[in-house]
Amino acid sequence: MERLPYLVPIVLYAILALDHLIPKALGAWVRTHGRTVALIGTAVHLLTLVGAALWRGGTPGFPEALSAAALGMMVAYVIVGASDRLRSLGLLLAPLSVVVLATGMVVPHKTVSALAETGGSSPWLPLHLGLIFAGLGGFSLSAAVGVMFLFVRSRLKGKKNLAALKRLPSLEVLDRIQFRSTLFGFAFLTLGIAAGGAWAAASLTEPFFFDPKVLLTLVIWAWYGIALQVRLVAGWRGRWSALFSIVGFSGLIFSMLVLNFVVQGWHAYGP
Amino acid sequence: MAPDVRIVALGVNHHTAPVEVRERLALDEEGVARHLSLLRERGLVEEALIVSTCNRVELYAVPGEGGATGVRSWFRSFRGPKGEDVDRFLFQHEGIDAIQHLFRVASSLDSLVVGEPQILGQVKDAVRLAEDHAAMGRVLSALSRRTLHVAKRVRSETDIGRFRVGVGNAGVDLALQIFGDLDGRRALLLGVGEMGQQVGHALQTAGLEELVIANRTYQRAVETADRYGATPIAWDRFEEYLPRVDVVITATGATEPIVTRQMVRKALRRRRYAPLFLVDLSVPRNIEPAIDDLDGAYLFNVDDLKQVVEEGLAAREKARQSAEDVVKGEAMRFVQSLARVEIGPRIGVITQKAEQLRQVELARSQKLIESLDPEQQEQLDALTKALVKKILHDPLRGIHEAAQEGDALRLEYLLGAWKEDER
Repeated sequence: MERLPYLVPIVLYAILALDHLIPKALGAWVRTHGRTVALIGTAVHLLTLVGAALWRGGTPGFPEALSAAALGMMVAYVIVGASDRLRSLGLLLAPLSVVVLATGMVVPHKTVSALAETGGSSPWLPLHLGLIFAGLGGFSLSAAVGVMFLFVRSRLKGKKNLAALKRLPSLEVLDRIQFRSTLFGFAFLTLGIAAGGAWAAASLTEPFFFDPKVLLTLVIWAWYGIALQVRLVAGWRGRWSALFSIVGFSGLIFSMLVLNFVVQGWHAYGP
Repeated sequence: MAPDVRIVALGVNHHTAPVEVRERLALDEEGVARHLSLLRERGLVEEALIVSTCNRVELYAVPGEGGATGVRSWFRSFRGPKGEDVDRFLFQHEGIDAIQHLFRVASSLDSLVVGEPQILGQVKDAVRLAEDHAAMGRVLSALSRRTLHVAKRVRSETDIGRFRVGVGNAGVDLALQIFGDLDGRRALLLGVGEMGQQVGHALQTAGLEELVIANRTYQRAVETADRYGATPIAWDRFEEYLPRVDVVITATGATEPIVTRQMVRKALRRRRYAPLFLVDLSVPRNIEPAIDDLDGAYLFNVDDLKQVVEEGLAAREKARQSAEDVVKGEAMRFVQSLARVEIGPRIGVITQKAEQLRQVELARSQKLIESLDPEQQEQLDALTKALVKKILHDPLRGIHEAAQEGDALRLEYLLGAWKEDER
């Protein structure tokens, strides 16, 4: 029941997604007020997320995780929406967040196993979650920008249909945003992991390191760390950075779903 | 059928009159101000707006009693280069056509170079001038507000302003697509071929930081560099410039490649794979085609560039078409909104009259009413009010609908049922 208000942001995001996917299907109004629609959507989204967490008595679970991921993407959407040319990134962000949030509405509510036992009273917990999902927002933006970079690049290399690029950002701008959003994601993920460690150290009595989700998070952290490293040291930018981000984010989403449904552990949603 | 809108557009522009005539009519700010007040003093117009640029002198007006003919007579005060009447150079649009014309002008659809951005500013200036001299009333004020809105809509919703023509601009467009802007960017021009100069100069105009020119005959590099405010360098030094520039343009008569894959590869490594945009304008080609395989190198030859130009033309035509559609729709909407405003006062008259009748009838039964207790009096008042409202409901809705659909005939018929003042 507490997830019902998500219908509002889902519908609003879906309108935005439709406007991006089929231009002119919804008329000029949506185009000119898209950012306002996104802002209203994210506001309702945020209130519902906070409300649902409070209603659950401070033990957020899998639906909240997906909701927070979708929220991160839509915050990125609102930010890039300020620029005429970057607006086109919404083509990837809006549909993705509709899918993720809609999934969050239907999955059963399960909380992290350890959380059910220890309770959610630690102040480290919201910090851990907030930082991790802010990081996810950064990674989703960097992957979306990466896809667009590859698209623009292939058009430029192909020398055909270049008129279609007029409404898209330039290669260098895409590359810059790609780098910055990866850096943003990495920084927040790092802090999020640290906050999680602090929570686990304070709340758990058993060793917490050998959990599939913890290990996966560290793999993801290492992957993006390497991506930033080769870029800064070896100058591997552009196509390589884009591919790193896309592979990293797809892996992240895939393993998040697989881990949450299949593998068990104290950090998994279950039992 | 569109309702009758009393707006005319009259004047000369680059379609209707040669420059010798246009320059005779052209007005500076002071001239515009003088004519705005003259027009109204003589009663030729109720409201006026004058747009005067080097390509057009156009008068938009709500005519006075003399109608459009009266407004047209204003142009008698102007003479052509041989003292002849300018009347035959005038265009004249009325009603919705006049509105559409102003929308097209402000949206740069009527410009010599379709899509050029200056005209909107010029129209804005004209509006400000007319406002300052209180030359515009309800109709033209609404029209000018709408015009600026339409122009902005056209610019943001269509690609009309995004396509420019010519090889030079195609080069600039590609450079912008790669770099975003040309701030702090440098270009190297190898050879001084005509097309190479065009592209180099277009890049400079678009904000390039520095243009470096190398030529086998150094003297010619110096001459060309002088003309464009560029930096000439000795031919054998061009390779050391490759890592430092972002754009390389070749336009020499050499019969074999002078920029090799090896050179560009080295340069890319030195510039840490920041993209390099290469334009080969020479035939036979001067840049090894295999360079395009390198990550970060974007090579375009003459044919590629030509294709970009052609695509741009096609896209611009398409953009123009959708811009015209926006303008048409907006003109129709504006006419309808004008009609809505026009009925406002007349509807006021109708409701006022009904209220008067109600009061008269109530007064007639004053004795009866006074015999009632206050609560009953109130009820009676409410009853008569509701009755009047119910009776008026359908006719008023019909009037609103007719105005919205722009059905002037039905509108007149419905409004005609109410005489304004019988007493």
